[in-house]
Amino acid sequence: MILLPRGNPVKERIDPGKVNLPDALRKLQGGGFTGYLRFDARSGTGIVIFQNGKLISALFEADREQLIAYDAIARLFQESLAGNALLDIYKLSPDLALSIHALLHGEVLYRGQELKLIDIKALLGKLKEDQVSGCLRIYTRERIALIFYRNGSPLGFFHDGSTDIETNADTSMSVARLPGAKIDVLISRGQEGMVLADLMGTADLGALWKKAQERIARERRSREDEASRNQELHDKDRRLKLQAFLRHTAERHLGKIGASLADKAAEKTLPQTGGLTETDLVPYFENLAKGAKLVAGPSAINTMLEEMKKGAKGFLK
Amino acid sequence: MDFNLLQLILWLIAGAVSFYFSLGNARVWTSIAVGFFLILIGEVIPRAIPFLPGANIPQVTAMAYIVGTIAILVMSHGFQEYYVFSRTLELEGNKLYVYLSTLAVIVASLVFILINITPDEGILRTIRIVENTNWVFLSLINIDLIRKIYLNVQDSPISKGFIAFIFVFVCIFLWKGSDLYVLVYNLDDVANQQLFPFRYQLSVICSNIGNLLAGLSVGGTFLYLARLLR
Repeated sequence: MILLPRGNPVKERIDPGKVNLPDALRKLQGGGFTGYLRFDARSGTGIVIFQNGKLISALFEADREQLIAYDAIARLFQESLAGNALLDIYKLSPDLALSIHALLHGEVLYRGQELKLIDIKALLGKLKEDQVSGCLRIYTRERIALIFYRNGSPLGFFHDGSTDIETNADTSMSVARLPGAKIDVLISRGQEGMVLADLMGTADLGALWKKAQERIARERRSREDEASRNQELHDKDRRLKLQAFLRHTAERHLGKIGASLADKAAEKTLPQTGGLTETDLVPYFENLAKGAKLVAGPSAINTMLEEMKKGAKGFLK
Repeated sequence: MDFNLLQLILWLIAGAVSFYFSLGNARVWTSIAVGFFLILIGEVIPRAIPFLPGANIPQVTAMAYIVGTIAILVMSHGFQEYYVFSRTLELEGNKLYVYLSTLAVIVASLVFILINITPDEGILRTIRIVENTNWVFLSLINIDLIRKIYLNVQDSPISKGFIAFIFVFVCIFLWKGSDLYVLVYNLDDVANQQLFPFRYQLSVICSNIGNLLAGLSVGGTFLYLARLLR
């Protein structure tokens, strides 16, 4: 889970599976967009950062894996096409976008520390002493705030709804006062002022999208085949149980020739694949009754058939 | 009560029951029931000779014996069909086809008798020997066939009916076998009867008892079957 403040929302809760993502990214590029796209998928979270229309960063983080750049984009395409994701788009200032990029690709010094258990003054003193550049992330379940530091000195704040690094600490510090607030300490790797390459300039997003589409289609086919196989096995099992019941009932009423007649009728009339319905059993009962007439009278046959029809319902559900 | 009349009454009952049975049951029973019904025809005609005008015409007597022969052939065919069914569970044909085929064979036999010379005593005797021979050997074959059918349909509602059929054919074997013995050894000749009185008397007793029990058991068996197949 990547914890980032929400920024200034452009679009929220979009199903990216219904969007042609390469086209959408190209539009953001063309419009000189600055901000980030957040993909919340079942298997992980992805962040794509734009700075002045350049796709400068892509990250996908799951429980046990972290993908960046083209791999992350490819994975985000797959997750989106699989229909498991939600997309939010937030606008940021170019500096903040870069800071977010530095933060995401930085190092975690401390993670998930209970704020009330931390000597915050000592921590800040230590950051100043060590001339740390990075940020403090303070968060609860609902709210997140970032406090950026450069060379040990506070640079500003970023919290839900803001588009730039702010100097007003009120909103960010209010998160710290919430019950259960936690803190992460993250160190950036000296990327201030750097110029990042545009990933869209070097990646063929169309090809990545197509590959993801093919993969999803393959997986869907495989799932469908598996489901079909499972259904077939389930149907076969039910059919065998039903036939065993019919056989047993016929044997009880007609003796061993009854069991043979039941098998013969099943072989002749019951479909050998797919699920059985009551309609499928109509020719079976007719065929069985025809053979049974040679060894039993109508009343015995009717009793047997009634019992069979009643019992068969349980297997046809 | 006259023994012949008693036998005739029993065969009338047996014939009526078996024919009625053939109408209301599965196709495979048609051949068997029609076969037993034809025994009635074969029995009634010779016994009616003293009472019915024209019944002593040699062609009519010959037809009585031939119908008797057709009877055992038709019912044997029926038991064979049942045996095949009990092994393969496959059954073909329809009732009308059985009735019409049997009728066609009877008509063909009648034509055969009519286009040939009038049968004298010797020819009638030969036809009767042929009839009895068929009955004797097919009875034995049918007993074995019915035993096998019984084993195949054991535990089914109808299975005991086949035990009754075995009894029927044992009676028929006794009846027709005794008749055949008398004919083969010319014991129907008065001179021979005086030479071998015991053998002749024993044969006649066996024949009469066999006939009586056969008529009784055929009617009884079909009534029993009708009860089993209710």
